[in-house]
Amino acid sequence: MRALEPMPGVRVVGHADALDRLAFPGGVTVLRIAPDELIAVGMADGPTGYAILGEAETGFVGRWLDAGELAAVRRHVEWPLHDGLNQGLVAGVPARVWIGDDGRALLLVAGAYAHELEARL
Amino acid sequence: MSSGGSSERGTFLLDGEVHVYEPGDSVAMAVVRAGDHPGRGGTLCLAGDCGNCLGEVDGTAYVRTCLTPARPGLAVRRHPADGPPPWDPAARPVQPAPPGEVRRLETEVVVIGGGPAGRAAADEARAAGSAVALFDGAEGHEVVGIFPGPTVIVRIPGEQAMLHVRAARVIVATGAAELHPVCPGNRLAGLLTARAAAGLVSSGISLPDAVVVGPAIPGVEAQSLEGRLVRFEGEARVTAVVTADAGGRETRHACSTVILNLGRAPRDVLARMSDEAVTVIGSAAETFPLPPPPTAGVICPCAGTTVEDLEGAWARGFHEVELLKRATLCGTGTCQGGACLPHLRSFVAARTGAIPDPFTARPASRQITLGEAAADVHLDAFRRTALHDEHLAAGALMDRFGGWWRPWHYGDHLAEHRAVRERVSLGDVSTLGKFIAEGPDAVEFLQRLYPTDVSTIRPGRSRYALLLNERGHVIDDGMIVRESDDRFVLTFTTGGAGNAEMWMRDWLETWALDVRLMDRTMSLGAINVTGPRAPELLGRVGLAAPLRFLEHARVPIAGVPCHVMRLSFTGEASYELHHPVDRSVELWQALMGAGQELGIAPHGLQALFALRLEKGHVIIGMDTELDTTPRRLGMDWAVAVDKSDFLGRVALARTSSLPDHRRLVGLTMPGEAPVEGSPIWSEGDVIGHVTSSFTSPTLGRAVMLGWLKRSPFPGAVEIAGRPAAVTSTPFYDPEGTRARA
Repeated sequence: MRALEPMPGVRVVGHADALDRLAFPGGVTVLRIAPDELIAVGMADGPTGYAILGEAETGFVGRWLDAGELAAVRRHVEWPLHDGLNQGLVAGVPARVWIGDDGRALLLVAGAYAHELEARL
Repeated sequence: MSSGGSSERGTFLLDGEVHVYEPGDSVAMAVVRAGDHPGRGGTLCLAGDCGNCLGEVDGTAYVRTCLTPARPGLAVRRHPADGPPPWDPAARPVQPAPPGEVRRLETEVVVIGGGPAGRAAADEARAAGSAVALFDGAEGHEVVGIFPGPTVIVRIPGEQAMLHVRAARVIVATGAAELHPVCPGNRLAGLLTARAAAGLVSSGISLPDAVVVGPAIPGVEAQSLEGRLVRFEGEARVTAVVTADAGGRETRHACSTVILNLGRAPRDVLARMSDEAVTVIGSAAETFPLPPPPTAGVICPCAGTTVEDLEGAWARGFHEVELLKRATLCGTGTCQGGACLPHLRSFVAARTGAIPDPFTARPASRQITLGEAAADVHLDAFRRTALHDEHLAAGALMDRFGGWWRPWHYGDHLAEHRAVRERVSLGDVSTLGKFIAEGPDAVEFLQRLYPTDVSTIRPGRSRYALLLNERGHVIDDGMIVRESDDRFVLTFTTGGAGNAEMWMRDWLETWALDVRLMDRTMSLGAINVTGPRAPELLGRVGLAAPLRFLEHARVPIAGVPCHVMRLSFTGEASYELHHPVDRSVELWQALMGAGQELGIAPHGLQALFALRLEKGHVIIGMDTELDTTPRRLGMDWAVAVDKSDFLGRVALARTSSLPDHRRLVGLTMPGEAPVEGSPIWSEGDVIGHVTSSFTSPTLGRAVMLGWLKRSPFPGAVEIAGRPAAVTSTPFYDPEGTRARA
């Protein structure tokens, strides 16, 4: 596994329906980590508006995975990975794996856990 | 019978002596072929159902030698007759096995057992369109357990790997096992089950002077005995078997091998591990007649439980199989009841008149190594702050606190202490819980959450607050920092942040208030700049106008956007700089560089704990207990009892007029501080204990916090054999002029 890299973006908290209505520019990967919270990777400024709280987020690192790396990650996950957002333990470390319709896959982990995940993968 | 051994004749070592094996032999077969016993006696089933052939194979103990193919160079040692195999790493170093690999499989149906019933079930499931995985012991698949999920754990033959299979449905078709005899002499060598005997004969092994107890066995030439089995006779190996007719008249039969054809019982160890989505079919689900109730002899060969042991437990009132199992250990050993369970059920049925259900089996049904059990199991992941490498470069000794790696000290905690008291110092407080609460109902939310009157905190100001549960007990503490009418930053303790978040989210949902809550704990770094020269240092790096005590502002420091909070935990002027975590190193280095002329030095947790103790500040979880109230901490000032409702208010109001016999107090004595946890004595009784303790270089004496749990609270106590005074806190700068300077 290649080294994890900074994955800056924006963290947004808001009413679920308000988040549903948000539009994001192309190239931004949106991870809906909870009904009322999302992380938009690759976005510089947060959306604003009523019932929306957006903050710059630099606390995550990760990397885009090729097929071999995704297969390697799968071996460290006790639950089945599916398309879309997966959240849980990867090699015992809290992490997220997003798999797009086009097969692209993003591994995302809080920077505070990066050393553990890199060592275990 | 499983063999699958070498295709050529060869040799292996048994207890250091050379043994010859024939093609296809298992270790146990080869030993029996030589007229010996692979274990220390007892009936051999040669099917993996019992623990009578266990041995140490190539350094791994508790291996079923009947399932171990013989191969050249194998080193086998029998287990001792009088206890478990020894493990003395000093005398016999063990080469650690490489960590096992875990492979995973998701399927719809798992079938365990490749007999007719199992294969038919697999075919039926496939025909219905289900994905099926079939595991057959005869093909070397060792299913070692079924866990909730259900998850089936399989040892992959010939590899250092375990297969974890998740399935919607598990079908157990493991067939039936043969009954073992329970009577005096049943630990002798020379006893075989019927299938074991048939398998040995078909492999060309002769069984001279053999007799059969029970029906004759096709293909096995041996005298068939009639009557009830009474006992076996012999020294190490059987020399005779005694039977009795219906009238009780005994007959002695000389022999050197006894074949026991006593009947069958479900091979249901796996089926007894889980009742979740597990179906048992075929012989494993059949109801077989129980054997006659045992009257003497070893019933559980694995645990060495005798019928006499069972009778003793029965006499003490243990009248259920699960209780008898716990009282006597019957069925807790290697085979998990494979040999003893039918006899135990019969024992109970004879005394109660009802056939009891089988007891539960525990994984693993086959012995696995620690490496196999621990495969893919990870230790808890501990977080690192962004400054971890900076701490290491500064010589820090790192330790784990509250789920994080933190610097305990940088080599000299007293020097770090002096840096804070006399000059300026940096502390990495990135681990604090950090949250934003924003929305039209933010004030209402925090008013209900905290015992302090949040409405009186003006934007730009902050306040220390306790967090209470409904019982009025302190569960955490931290700062409430008001940024605007409807936006707050909340901080919590390092170890309490996770619980605080759950607590807030639970109540937010319960109250249905219009508030957004965002966790910033791992998104923001935080550096505490503390000491009398802290304002001077911050002035050099961008804080033009010094903040007053409990003020806060968003100010770039050394070019890094910071939320600066003026507060104090150390007792000196302190500024917490909350900043984007990816800028932590840049900010730390800028501060250290700018502070060189001021004698800056970082401080670790050891110094911080001492500094706050001199101020009498409590650490939640260290100085507090699960039922600690603000009153017991002497912190009634942190509770606005006259404000509208808040969590814990009812309980505090109800108990406020009641006498209370506990108080956290300050304690001091000359000389060295006693160890934390020391009992506090008064008039010959222990009345409490010390929670925090430190020999203060600033004050020249020992200062402590401790609980007094008996009233009236004395003014003088004894700790570690020395007199100590109960005193008010803070010990240091009681007026707080330094923190507010």
